[in-house]
Amino acid sequence: MVDIERVRELAELMDEHGLNEVRIREGETTIDLRKGSAVAPGYMAAPVATPTPAAAVPAAEADADEGLVPIRCPMVGTFYTASDPESPPFVSIGSEVMPDSPVCIIEAMKVFNEIKAEVAGTIERMLVQNEQAVEFGQPLMLVRPKS
Amino acid sequence: MFSRVLIANRGEIALRILRACKELGIQTVCVFSEEDREQPYLQLADQAICIGPAVATESYLKADRIIAAAEVANVDAIHPGYGFLAENAHFADACRESKIEFIGPSAESMRLLGDKIQAKKLAKRAKVPTIPWTEGPVENDDDAAKWAAKNGYPVMIKAAAGGGGRGIRLVHNEAALRHNMPAARAEAQTAFKDSAIYLEKLVESARHVEVQIMGDRAGNVLHFYERDCSLQRRHQKLVEESPSPGLDDRTREELCKAAVRVARAAGYYSAGTVEFLVNPKGKFYLLEMNTRIQVEHPVTELVTGYDLVQWQIRVAAGETLSVKQRDIRHRGVAIECRINAEDPANDFRPCPGKIEVFRPAGGLGVRVDTCVHAGATISPRYDSMIAKLIVHRSTRAEAVACMRRCLEEFTIEPIKTTLSIHREIFNHSSFLKGDVDTGFIERTW
Repeated sequence: MVDIERVRELAELMDEHGLNEVRIREGETTIDLRKGSAVAPGYMAAPVATPTPAAAVPAAEADADEGLVPIRCPMVGTFYTASDPESPPFVSIGSEVMPDSPVCIIEAMKVFNEIKAEVAGTIERMLVQNEQAVEFGQPLMLVRPKS
Repeated sequence: MFSRVLIANRGEIALRILRACKELGIQTVCVFSEEDREQPYLQLADQAICIGPAVATESYLKADRIIAAAEVANVDAIHPGYGFLAENAHFADACRESKIEFIGPSAESMRLLGDKIQAKKLAKRAKVPTIPWTEGPVENDDDAAKWAAKNGYPVMIKAAAGGGGRGIRLVHNEAALRHNMPAARAEAQTAFKDSAIYLEKLVESARHVEVQIMGDRAGNVLHFYERDCSLQRRHQKLVEESPSPGLDDRTREELCKAAVRVARAAGYYSAGTVEFLVNPKGKFYLLEMNTRIQVEHPVTELVTGYDLVQWQIRVAAGETLSVKQRDIRHRGVAIECRINAEDPANDFRPCPGKIEVFRPAGGLGVRVDTCVHAGATISPRYDSMIAKLIVHRSTRAEAVACMRRCLEEFTIEPIKTTLSIHREIFNHSSFLKGDVDTGFIERTW
């Protein structure tokens, strides 16, 4: 007879410790728990690594982001908030932007590229930090568009 | 040795390079387009960086983004694989200018050998026979007609900046020649940004035999014997094997030595392949030299026992070849079948789509190079390669029997693949006798 409570306990333990697979043999009983979808062994269905931990939007805040438009990185390089270390940042939370407002610099191969907002609205959230390495398509900031 | 290498490619060759790096203790950085985000091999890399949308011109061909990724990931070298930017001399220069080593030959030798006219002139200097040709570009149609009349039809019109089977037209008489010349020039200009064309006599009933070479920066060049790639359709290879069943030992030796002479004359280092046509009498002619690792390199790896991709990396890191020519032995017979998402029954129409069932073959002497698995999708944006199935046994008869068995086992559903034509090839009497030439596939199917 399988002890459902035991199985539930084990499942909770797995969650707590971030385990994907647990096998317990107790006397003549073996309990085998495996998490996630059935993909080929050795290939995890984990998110792909980016140069530095990408600020993936946590599930709890997903509702708050509804209606927000991301400004996505159009290239690969290093993100800078200002045109040089002495200058103030182009934008910060609360800044109003127009589609052709510069919002940041992405540096690649010693060339400094000014990135435009491409949307009119207010900067609501910054998703990356100054001098962070960024990849193509990576969301850099979230804008609440002007309705 | 490098600490970290960026792999500027995708699919099975990206995985191949990744494996070679891991065994050498090198950290790996993969780049991917948005279409390739879910590729499982990316999980094996230490880092993976998105470089653009699906379309290759905005991702895998975007040299500046790839070098930018190499910089942010702080790599020592970039391996270009095959295709994409692998034979792009500008890219090689750009990498090295950014103080990132390009795992391949010098840009200079790439330029020299990439120009088919310059390559043929180099072959002449190296005393390597070339197919009778116009000894330079044809300036006008009258000159072309005169040359063809003197040397005889059929004649191939070829683009100087072409290669890999592209930019080639076959004409059988003067009317066809005059009709095709303007189109050939226009096509060359569009495809290769160079309208220069030349003429070459057709070598009939020839075998396509290529020699694998590897050079180092100290000027040493070694050969790793030949591969017979006569089974082609529209200049795209289907099956490759080593040794060539159509060569006697003496011709083989001369061919391999000729290949080394070409590579030396070009100041070549890293992996390269010298391609020849061999006529039924055993007379051979240089076709071209490819300045990259080739799709069919596993055939050579199996018969010689050397990891060619690792050797590319070592050479790029400054190592000299630690073996002598006499140490490279050829053992047994290896045969490769390219399994592509194409429908042989419908003019080899590409069949991209989702693969629901993927059961590769296995067993003694069986190697499968693939990044595909059940649930994977073959994209219409990139090449149609699914897997390379290679077998290695002591004799050709055993290798053929093994391959036939493997082709029966190998199951891919529901998309159409070239497995069906391979099954027919491996039951065809001419192929079983080793008696084929470059026209065999197109004549028979």
